[in-house]
Amino acid sequence: MGADPVAGGMTPERSRITVAIVDDHPVVIEGIRSWLATEPRLAVVATGEDPDRVLAADQPTADVILLDLRLRGRMVLDKVTELGGAGRRVVVYSEHSDSDTILAVLDAGAVAFLAKHEGREHCVDTVLAAASDRPYVPPALAGAIVGDRRTGRPVLSDKEREALLLWFQSMSKASVARRMNISEHTVKQYVDRARIKYARAGRPAATKAALLARAIEDGLVRADEIGS
Amino acid sequence: MPTDLAGGAAGTVTATVERGPRIAAVLIAFGWHLVINLPAVLGNWPQYRLPWVVGAGWLVFSAVGLVAAVNLLRGAPSPTWPLVGVLLLVDVLVFACTPASLVFDSANFGWATLGWFVVLLLWGRRIPALVAVLAVGAAIALVGILALRGAGAADLSRYAMAVYGNATLPIAMMIAVNLLGTLAGSTARAAAARTAIETERAAAGRMHQSRRDRLAALDRTAGAILTELAEGRADPADPAVQRRCALEASRLRRLIAESDDVPDPLLHELRACVDVVERNGLPVDFVAVGTLPPLPVEIRRQLAEPLTTTLTAATRWARLTVVGQPDEVVVSLTTPGTSTTTAEPGGTGDTIGRAGDDFSAVAGEVEYVYEENEELVWVQTRWRAA
Repeated sequence: MGADPVAGGMTPERSRITVAIVDDHPVVIEGIRSWLATEPRLAVVATGEDPDRVLAADQPTADVILLDLRLRGRMVLDKVTELGGAGRRVVVYSEHSDSDTILAVLDAGAVAFLAKHEGREHCVDTVLAAASDRPYVPPALAGAIVGDRRTGRPVLSDKEREALLLWFQSMSKASVARRMNISEHTVKQYVDRARIKYARAGRPAATKAALLARAIEDGLVRADEIGS
Repeated sequence: MPTDLAGGAAGTVTATVERGPRIAAVLIAFGWHLVINLPAVLGNWPQYRLPWVVGAGWLVFSAVGLVAAVNLLRGAPSPTWPLVGVLLLVDVLVFACTPASLVFDSANFGWATLGWFVVLLLWGRRIPALVAVLAVGAAIALVGILALRGAGAADLSRYAMAVYGNATLPIAMMIAVNLLGTLAGSTARAAAARTAIETERAAAGRMHQSRRDRLAALDRTAGAILTELAEGRADPADPAVQRRCALEASRLRRLIAESDDVPDPLLHELRACVDVVERNGLPVDFVAVGTLPPLPVEIRRQLAEPLTTTLTAATRWARLTVVGQPDEVVVSLTTPGTSTTTAEPGGTGDTIGRAGDDFSAVAGEVEYVYEENEELVWVQTRWRAA
């Protein structure tokens, strides 16, 4: 099957964020479409199982691409690299939520990683954040970063690591804030700063540069912190 | 394993026991060479046929002795047979240079000193090797005496006495050293075997004690609820009784899992708890990241036990996470609500290895945090390497 004709036929308003969904299971596409439908700022404009066809020039341009990491039994990490390098905002979602896979996806230039079981709110929030080149760290991604033991991994501050750890454990920013005696806003800052450090690591990608630029603009990190 | 242990220990003890005799042998050889041979050589210098050859022979003896002594004391091997050959050659040369009148004198030092230096070279070998070398020395001496003095009865009897004197002491010493080494080895092996048996017995005792402790702990809590059920004092339909049963089942499962030999025992034990509550219909999100360092069972209990009570009381879902690093392990359980308001461990007779029992007795500390708010119940245990 190719791009969903119904999705392609929708006429999104200019102000809405356009989303493409690439998955080889129609039921998953429908599920995600219904999740995203609860957020009026989002419009699904293309769906299908073949990324090349969903993202073809004759299809409506999507601001954010939700990409299943495993298509027809094949891991499409190379596709993530290709799209990230071209500056396309890819949110990878997968049932493969082991740390190695998640870190490889970040390295390849995905804007975010979402475990399939993480649910509607994380999905919507991730897509919204991705559309504005802002980081969003769902718990599975936080776990992967906390458990990262690779040599050459980004160095996190104690506070950043603790915030990530507690967020991974509790999935509640309010509880993390109470535990750390800081505001929820500060919790989010610590978590996002940790994520931004990963945008500075590994191979360069246009999406990583966009994340960094927006982080500097938002005052999350200072330009002189970026280093080389 | 015990045999290896005993063998290693025997080697060490033997080496220690033999060190004294080695030093003694070196002192005897060099004492003889310096105190008796040196004055004799210098005193009779003009009478030698070729004094410089004899002087050089004395130096060669010293050099060979030095190499043998250093290697002996370091436990390193010497080129034994070439050096024995050198000593015998010097022996022949000294004989050839010694005048007939001094053949039985210390001035003819090669023959008399040969045995002590050969002992240094043949250390640790069997006695016949030493006897063979001494026999060659005696043969050289016989040829020398016959050539220099003829086959007089008096000379031959003096020769026999000299052979006896030169041979017996080194041979006796070597026999004594060999005996001592064998004795020390067998004593050490016996001691090491005894230690190994005692260690095994102590380990088995500790294992037995820890099983008894676990059984006793279960007896207090699991036994109590079973007794109450059997006597009809506890109603199986009562949710509180059901909760207690679920908790005990989960603890039982974890305590059994403790003695399993698996690569990641902490995860294995936690999974055992999760299995029980999942079977009761509670969905549990169990995620482990990082690599767990090996932890002793006491630490694992302190990490896992405080979560068990809350896990079995969870009503809708629970999230159990483990984050491992070489120097830190954090276990966390969150759930939106529990069926009891006193879920905190300690309140329900939970006593096995509770965090706070004896921090000082184990490597590192386990910190315990319990938090309950309108959103969730959160139990966290955290071990940090000392």
